[in-house]
Order: sequence, then C-alpha cells, then structure tokens
Amino acid sequence: MFERYEVDGLFDEMFVAPGEPRAHYRAVAERLVGMGAEAFARRVRMADVTFRNQGITFTVYSDQRGVEKIFPFDLVPRIVPADEWDVIERGLAQRITALNLFCQDIYHEQHILRERVIPPELIYAAKMFRREMFHVNVPHNIYIHICGTDLIRDRAGNYFVLEDNGRTPSGVSYVLENRAIMKRVFPSLFTAYRVRAIEDYPYNLLQCLKYVAANKFDDPSIVVLTPGIYNSAYFEHSFLARQMGVELVEGRDLIVENSFVYMRTTAGLKRVDVIYRRVDDDFLDPLCFRTDSGLGVPGLMNAYRNGNLALVNAPGTGVADDKAIYPFVPAMIKFYLSQDPILPNVPTYICAEDSHRRYVLEHLHELVVKSTNESGGYGMLMGHQATQAEREEFAQKINADPRNFIAQPVVELSQHPSLIDGQFAGRRVDLRPYILMGEKPIVMPGGLTRVALREGSLVVNSSQGGGSKDTWVLEEDDGTPVQGEAAAPVALTNGV
Amino acid sequence: MSQSQIQLITVKKFSQHPASRPLLARDADSMYWMSRYIERAEHVARLLLVNSNLLVDVGDLSPALQDKQWNSVLTIMRSAGPAAPSNGNSTRAGTLVPRYMTFDPENHNSLITCVTRARENARAVRENISAEMWECVNTLYWAIRGDDAAARFEESPDDFYRMVMNASMLFQGLTDQTLDHDQRWLFTQLGKYLERIDVSCGIVDTKYGILQASEQRLEGALRNIHWMAVLRCCCSLEAYRRQHVGDMEPLRVASFLILERHYPRSIRYAVAMAHEAIGKIRAEVNVLAIDPAERILGRLDAQLEYAEIGEILSEGLSQYLQKIRYQVMETAAAVQKSYFLH
Repeated sequence: MFERYEVDGLFDEMFVAPGEPRAHYRAVAERLVGMGAEAFARRVRMADVTFRNQGITFTVYSDQRGVEKIFPFDLVPRIVPADEWDVIERGLAQRITALNLFCQDIYHEQHILRERVIPPELIYAAKMFRREMFHVNVPHNIYIHICGTDLIRDRAGNYFVLEDNGRTPSGVSYVLENRAIMKRVFPSLFTAYRVRAIEDYPYNLLQCLKYVAANKFDDPSIVVLTPGIYNSAYFEHSFLARQMGVELVEGRDLIVENSFVYMRTTAGLKRVDVIYRRVDDDFLDPLCFRTDSGLGVPGLMNAYRNGNLALVNAPGTGVADDKAIYPFVPAMIKFYLSQDPILPNVPTYICAEDSHRRYVLEHLHELVVKSTNESGGYGMLMGHQATQAEREEFAQKINADPRNFIAQPVVELSQHPSLIDGQFAGRRVDLRPYILMGEKPIVMPGGLTRVALREGSLVVNSSQGGGSKDTWVLEEDDGTPVQGEAAAPVALTNGV
Repeated sequence: MSQSQIQLITVKKFSQHPASRPLLARDADSMYWMSRYIERAEHVARLLLVNSNLLVDVGDLSPALQDKQWNSVLTIMRSAGPAAPSNGNSTRAGTLVPRYMTFDPENHNSLITCVTRARENARAVRENISAEMWECVNTLYWAIRGDDAAARFEESPDDFYRMVMNASMLFQGLTDQTLDHDQRWLFTQLGKYLERIDVSCGIVDTKYGILQASEQRLEGALRNIHWMAVLRCCCSLEAYRRQHVGDMEPLRVASFLILERHYPRSIRYAVAMAHEAIGKIRAEVNVLAIDPAERILGRLDAQLEYAEIGEILSEGLSQYLQKIRYQVMETAAAVQKSYFLH
C-alpha cells in the first residue's frame, strides 16, 4: 500500500525518506505493511459503522446531501515523541497564560496599550472586542478557560503556532471518540506503544468549571449551553455534558430573575452557577448583544456582571484570537511574563498597516490571505493556487477593509500517510491540542490532527472536507520496541 | 416538542427532593415523545404486517373489500390517506397504503416520520438516555432512511415491519434495564402507555365495527381468521388463546382487549401503568397537590377496574372507546401544561 508513496521535499511525519520510517513510527509502519489493503479496509469499515451507529457526526450547511456527516477518520495514527511534545506543552502553557493576562489587561488598565506594545486602534477596531466587558471582574481573572491552538510544521519540521482559538474551540469530542475507536479497531497497535492517556479531559474540564463557580458552594450547578440539535457541533456539546455528568441546556431552558440564572425543570426553577457556553458572544444575550438572537438568555450579562454567574469562556476573548492581534502574542509573552516565546508564530503581515498592505498586494500570488475573524476555513485566499481573477477580487476586498485581513507566506505543511482509495498517500496535516486553564494550565497530550483530504490542499477544516486522525503522544523514554539506533529501512512492497 | 408561551408565568421555585437529579422540562418532553413515537411506529408496523398477512389468509376477497381493510389502517391511525398518484400507476389501496404509511414524509404517522422524530428527540436528550438506547434508535433510523431501505422493503415488506417491531421491543427492554427508574424513565413509560391506549382503542373500535357489520356474511373459519387478526394487531392472540382456547367469540375478544387485568397489551393494563407513572412523577416533583393528568387517569383506571363488557356494549362500544381516546388527549394536554411548559 506504500508503493506509490512520495515524500517530495516536504516534511513527512512518518518517513525520513520513502521506505525509511522515523524511529518512533517503525512499529506502525511494519504493522501496516504486514496487514495488507483488505484487512485495513475491513477496519476502516468497522470504524465507519461505529461512528454512524453512535451518531458521532457533525453538520455541514453548504452540503445538500443530507445534513449530518461523519467526520472522515483516517486510521493511521499520528505519533509525537515525548521530547517533541515537552517543548510544545511548555510553549502552549506559556501562551495561554499570556493570553489570559492580556485579556485581563485589555479590559481593565490596558497597560499593554499605554506602553505602546500594541497599537490601540487595532484593539478598538477588533470586531470581537467587547466594550461590555470593560472593568468586569471575572473569577480568578481567567478569560480563556479552554483554548484550541493550531500548530503546523514547515519543510524543516519546525513547529509554528498558526492561530489560537479562544472563543468556543471545538473538536475535542472527536479526539476522545477517535481514541476510543482506535482502541477498538487497532488494539494490537496500542501494545507496541505507551501512549499518554487523554481520557481525563472531561474530568479536568469539570474541575476547571468548578474552580470558577462564583459562589463558594461545594456543589455548584454547572450546565453546558448549546444552540441546539441543528448546530453543526451539537454532538460535541451533548458528548461533553454527558462525560462530565452535567445538564445540557438551550437558551430557552434558562431564565434570569433578580440577576440570578435559573433553569426550567419539571419541578420548578433551579439555580445555575456556571455555564460552559458554546454559543457565540453575539448570540448570548439579546438585551446586550444581538437583539435578534433566539439562542441566548435575556439578562444573562446582567447576572454575569453582578458576579452571580461564571461564563466559560468569558465573553470578549475574541480580541485575543483575532488574526490581526495574533502577531503580537510573542510581544505579550515578553510583556507579561518577561520570557521569550517557546513556540514561534508564523510571520504575518497586517493589512491594516500601510507598508504591510503594500507588500501583500504586490505578492498575492505567494501568500495566504485570511479574514481576521472568520473560522472554518472560510474567507481565505490561497494566493499560490488562486486564479488571477480571484486574486483581483480579493485585492479589492483588502483595499475596502484592510483591518479585516492578514497575510502569511505559504507554509508547506507537513504531510502524513493517509488512506486514499486503498493506497497510502501523503496528505497535509496540522495539530490542534486543547489547553485548559484552571488553577494552572493543563495541556491535553495530543489533540486533533486534521488532514486535508484533497490532494495538495493545505486547508484542513472539517467544513472544507477535512478529516482527522488519532494523535499519540508517547510516554517518556519509550518510542518503539527497537531501542536506540536509527530505524532500518522497511521493505514496503512485500505482500501488498 | 414544546414551545414556551408568552404569558405571565407563575414562577414555581424548585421544590424537588434535593437528592434526585432535576430534569429539564424540555428533556421530559423529549423523553415522553421519544417513547410515544417508537410505540406508534411499532403499532403501525404491526398493523401493516397483520393486514397484509390477513389478505393472504382469506384468499379471494373482492377488491373493494381489500381496499376497505387497508383503509381501516388509515382510520385507526387517523391519517388522511395518500394522494392519488398522478402518473397513472395503480391506485389500489393495497399498494398505496403500505407505502404511504411506511415512507411518506408528509404523513405524520408514517414509519419514517415516527422513527425520525423519535431519533431527533433521542438526540436532544442523549445525556439522559443510555448509549444502548441511543444506538438502538439510531440504527433503526439509518435502516429506514438508508439508500437500500426502499429496495429491502420491496423485497420483503414483512421483514421490514418486523425490523421496526423488534427494534421497538429492544428499545423498551433497554429502557427498562439500562435507565435509572427515576423521572426520566417514568416519562418514557407515560408516553409509551398513553400511545398504546390510544392506538389500541382505535384498533378495537375500527375493526370491531367492520367485523360486526359483516358478521352475517362471515362463516366459521373465515370469521375466526378475522377475529384472530384483530388480536394479532394488538399482539394478543396467544395470550387470548391461553385463556379462551381458540373460541373467537366477539364479546370475549373485545373484553380481553379492553379489560384484561394482567396482560400488558390490554387497554386496562396500559391505563393502570400510565396512572402509576404519572402518580410517581407527581410524587417526586410535587408531593402535595393532585395533578390534573393524574386525576383523569385515576378516574379512568377505577372505571376500567369495575367495568363489565355487557354494560360497555349496551352503552355502545365505539362511543366508549372514543371517550377513552378523548381522555388520553386531555391527559396529554395536562401533562404538557404541568411539566413541559415551564
């Protein structure tokens, strides 16, 4: 199945060169080669049936063929050795700490603006900057309790942070379900490795939610707020509520009275202390934000400002994951922590700045241009793959609203063997680990490896047809059954 | 699913026993309807199965009579009936009605509609049901909606109906064995038994009416086959035989289906179970007051306990059964008002 596998000058996660797996992938490569296409296909079918029967789906609105889809899952795991992960873990913990300090600062004294580290106009023009949060004190000064940070690797294999997702990051349920399915379908692979466990994520999340309960009861009432069953990520909302053992509510189940929030039960109103909300800021409270929202709870922000409620993540965190603010995160780390960033950013041009914008317009054919506040891979231009007409159209958009765009040089993402039509081919991947902020930052070992399933595509989002893989972070001192030496080449054409 | 009404709500403060976990009003609504829709699907599947087998058993029925049998299914489920096909194909009830009651998404009582709604409700309360229950409903959903569903139905409608019936039985078993018997479970029982009462009344009322009208023309074996079919529609043939040894006497059949004390498919039994469920719900939620739904079911339960088939017939069987159906409707409305519309 690896017959036509090419590496092509990219960084390949599994192979140093065709036929030469990296030491930590050797056992997997051997198993796959020994297994053959038919056995592998059988396991793929098993996984698909399991996904469907359990209803592990998401919803794509642009697709007409039925509303629910299975998130394509590739059975070859992505493996990260312990020493690589150590750097990532420290870098992510550092980053979420700095981002939280930034949010606390930007909604209070704004030292970082007074010291001219970030231009104030960038902040004030940020779509997600919420004046409603000015001088609101939040429990333990934590704004971003849950963050999903996207990492990529360049041709040399260096890790970069592509972006942070600090509003309502999703995908962790697929991480957990992928792992469960891998264990069911490929138990033999697990015996060859010691993989760090991720199953404690729901427990850790619950502890974080308890930590921010506004009143100091031993048993705070915690709920997950979902937009409802027609939301594309509904499966995850339901899944996390179940795993944590808390209620799943919609806006219409909640009511605010006397600045306290209650949920409607068969036995009357029961008070709510903490809301893990998967509803965007805009739709959270029709009395505060969008007045046409039916998904929120009128008066919720009132209860929040009175200190009677904790919201996870806090409103207003979008200012921190704004793509035009992203270039300043290393500066934030320096400013608040007096440290150098452990994980580097991708070099970024901010179109709001004249010299940057000029460069971007002159080099559209080499750059990736993104809207500062979209997600899901929408509002993007892949300059090197677009037509001249598309580039001209985008240039007009940039000129019309420069603050709304940033550009980055194309990073040739690393690739990973993925099963395409019965053969393994290299497809680009990224990695989204999930970081929790409670008493201290907790980084989940692993995360969602997303795969761009279309050949040559660098866009990994699920809404654009991406898939996922299980991610294995290995325990310390344990890569493969072969101790120490560099892996010998594996014959890739036997018995296939 | 419920809708909150814009009116002055008397805010009822939380009064439940602190040890039991609160149930969202919307979740109670979904648990109730999930069970009702599954029960409905089972009845529809059984009606279609029994009816098609009956027509095979009785052999040469005139087309008009055959159509009448099929249309009786529509009457029982109170469905409007399929539109006549515009492409000149068969307008025979024998082809139209099964397809209409199985696959028509416009039909509120078709199998596909019932199963889809059951599944949607199950999805909305996934954290309140067990994984096994969810997989059961979800698997049935995909079986009915899959690309090959129509083909499998054409190949063997009987197997298709049995699949639905078996899934319903499995679901009931899973509900009983994998769910804590608290409020959540009680709402599933309430929904299931209310639906059972409603459809069973419809079956007895409609079928009895048809058979009585043709009583003079039916003889011996043919007559027995028809009455056996009525019992089969209520999944009660074998239980009846154990009591009455194959004597298909109309009075006895009606009595069994309506008043039988111990058999789970009788109307009397379903009323008793529904009454028990609502009583327990009320006790868990609001110890002091009497709930209007409980009142209706309590009266009905007592009435059926002391009823006698002769009296029922002299009052008029159809009238009697329709009155029960009406009370089920009232109960459902009262349940919605007391528990779902908070």
